[in-house]
Amino acid sequence: MTVPPAPAALRGPGVRVSTGAALVGALIVWVALLGPLIALFAHLTPGSVVSALRQPGALQPLLVSVLASLVALAVILLLGTPLAYLLARGRLPWPRIWEIGVILPLLTPPLVVGLLLIFMVGPNTAIGNALSHIDLSASDTFFALVVAEIYEAVPYYVLGAAAAFASVDPELEEAATLLGDGRWRTWRRVTAPLAAPGLATALAITWARAMGAFGAVLIIAYHPFGLPMQIWVTLQETGLSSALPFALVLLVVALPLPVGAYLWSARARRRL
Amino acid sequence: MLVADFEVARREFPVRLAISAQPGERLAILGPSGAGKTTCLEAVAGLLHLSAGQIVLDDLRLSRAADPGADLRPGHRGVGLLRQRAGLFPHLTVLENICYPPQASVELARETASRMGLGDLLGVRPGGLSGGEAQRVALCRALQTGVRVLCLDEPFSSLDQTLGLELLELVRTELVAAGVSSLLVTHQLHEAQAFADRVLVLDRGQILQVGDPRELVLRPNGARVAAIVGYRGFLRRGGQLLAVHPDRVRSVSQRTGGDGISARVVRVRPEGGRIDAEMEAQGEWSGRFHCRFDEAPELGSILLLRADGAPLFVGAEAVLD
Repeated sequence: MTVPPAPAALRGPGVRVSTGAALVGALIVWVALLGPLIALFAHLTPGSVVSALRQPGALQPLLVSVLASLVALAVILLLGTPLAYLLARGRLPWPRIWEIGVILPLLTPPLVVGLLLIFMVGPNTAIGNALSHIDLSASDTFFALVVAEIYEAVPYYVLGAAAAFASVDPELEEAATLLGDGRWRTWRRVTAPLAAPGLATALAITWARAMGAFGAVLIIAYHPFGLPMQIWVTLQETGLSSALPFALVLLVVALPLPVGAYLWSARARRRL
Repeated sequence: MLVADFEVARREFPVRLAISAQPGERLAILGPSGAGKTTCLEAVAGLLHLSAGQIVLDDLRLSRAADPGADLRPGHRGVGLLRQRAGLFPHLTVLENICYPPQASVELARETASRMGLGDLLGVRPGGLSGGEAQRVALCRALQTGVRVLCLDEPFSSLDQTLGLELLELVRTELVAAGVSSLLVTHQLHEAQAFADRVLVLDRGQILQVGDPRELVLRPNGARVAAIVGYRGFLRRGGQLLAVHPDRVRSVSQRTGGDGISARVVRVRPEGGRIDAEMEAQGEWSGRFHCRFDEAPELGSILLLRADGAPLFVGAEAVLD
C-alpha cells in the first residue's frame, strides 16, 4: 500500500534541501567550525606536547584553572539554581529587572567587565576594604580569578537552567503536592529529575566558559596564572608553537564535560 | 462528612459554594465554562485560600478564611484532585507513578492496578499510554493516598463519550468500594447524570439549583438552569416563559410554579422570512399554539432538527402569538 503524499498546504513551508546539498552544507559547517581544531592538531606533534608539559611548573596553571572553575561552578550552582527556578516560575517581583541583571554580564565585553570589577571589588572600594578584613583580595589572587570566572560564566547557567525549569510542566509539581509532597520533596522527586537534561547542558556550558574565561581575568586576576592566561603569556613571550600544547590541554580538560553532558541529555530527553 | 461553605474571591466575580457530602456520596457541579467550577474544586483541594467561610472534613478543619495560615496543605487534607490532564510523571513507570505517594504500598498498588486493568502496563512509561489508560493510572495513584474526598475536574472530557462514560463508571465503582465522597465538575449533563447522586448547577459563581439529575431536567427552576441542562430555546407569552428542549417543553415561569406542560411540535413551515410552527400541548398550557419565529438577527438563528420524523426547533427565543 502506498501512502499518498500530503496535500501541498499541509507540507512544510519553504524549500526542501536535497541530500547532496545537505552534505555539502554540513561539510562547510564542519570545516568552518572545526578548522581551527584541525589546524591545532596539524601543528602539534606528540613530542612537542610532552616536552612542553614536562617543563617545571607547566601543569600548575591547569590545576589553578580546574580548582577555580570548580569553586566558581559550585557558587554558580548554589546561587544560580534557585534564581533560575524562581525566574522560570515567575515568582520574583519585577522579573524583567532580574533578567536584565542576569543578561548584562553576557552583553558586556569581558574586558569591560574586568575593568568595572576593579571599581566594584578592587582594593580601594568598600567591598575591597571589607574583603581585606577577612584577608581576601579581589585583585591578582585565586579569589579574584574565581570572581572573574563567575561573572563571565553565570549568565550561561542561569539562562540555561531557567529554560530547563520552564520546560517542566507546573501541573506535575501540583500533582506531586496533591500526593503529599512538600516543596523540597517535589523539587527533588519531580522538578530536578525532569529538568536534569537541561540543567546538565547548562552546567557543562558554564564549566567550559569558566575554564576559558580570559577578558575579565586578564584585568583583575593576572596572577595566579590559569590556563588561558598561561596560553596568552606563552604566546607573547615564546611564540605560537609554545602556546599550542597548553591550548590542547585546555581543550582536553574543558570539552569532554560539555560533549558528554550534551550526549547524555539528548538521550535522557528521548526517554521522557 | 464534607461540609463546605465558602467564598473564593476572583477578579470577575466571587465563587460561592455551600455543600455537604456524606461519605461515599457523589456530587456533580454542572455549569458552563468560566462559571467557577474548577475554583470550587481547587479550594476544596487546598490549592486556593478562601475569602470567606470554611471547609470541614469529618472532625478536621481543612480551610478557614479567618485563619488561612492554619489551612491544611494540599496532599495532607484527605482530598485528591484528578484533572483533565492525568499529570503522570513522565520519568517514572506506571508502577512508580502509582507508588509515588509516600504512604503507598507496592502490594496494594499492584492489586488496585490489576483490578483496574493496568496489570500489564506497570513497567510502561506514561508516554506509551493512551489517554484512557493514563487517567486510570491517575485514579489508581490518587486512591493510594487514602483520600476521603476525590475531586474530579472534567478528567475524561478529552476522551470520546463512550470511553469517558466507561471510565466514569469505573471511578464510581472504585469510589463506592472505597467509601470515598466525590465532586465531579463537568459541563456535560450526561456525565453528571451518569455519575452523581446530586447535581449542583453553578453559574457565575453562584449555585442556581441543587437536585437529583432527573429533577433538574424535569423541573429547572429558571431559564438559566434550563439552558445549562440542555433546553435550547425559550418561548415567551406575557410574563411566562416556556423552555424548549429537543424532546420536551417545560414552563419555567416563576408564576406558574415551573411544571405541568408537555408539548410536541406538529408543524413547522418557513413563511416570508419567518418560521411558523404549531405546537400541541397538554397540562397547564393545554391546546394548540401557533408559534412564530422571526429570523431577525436579534433572535438568534433558528435551527431545525428532525427526530423520528418530527421537526423540532432549538436555539431560538420567540414570542407566542
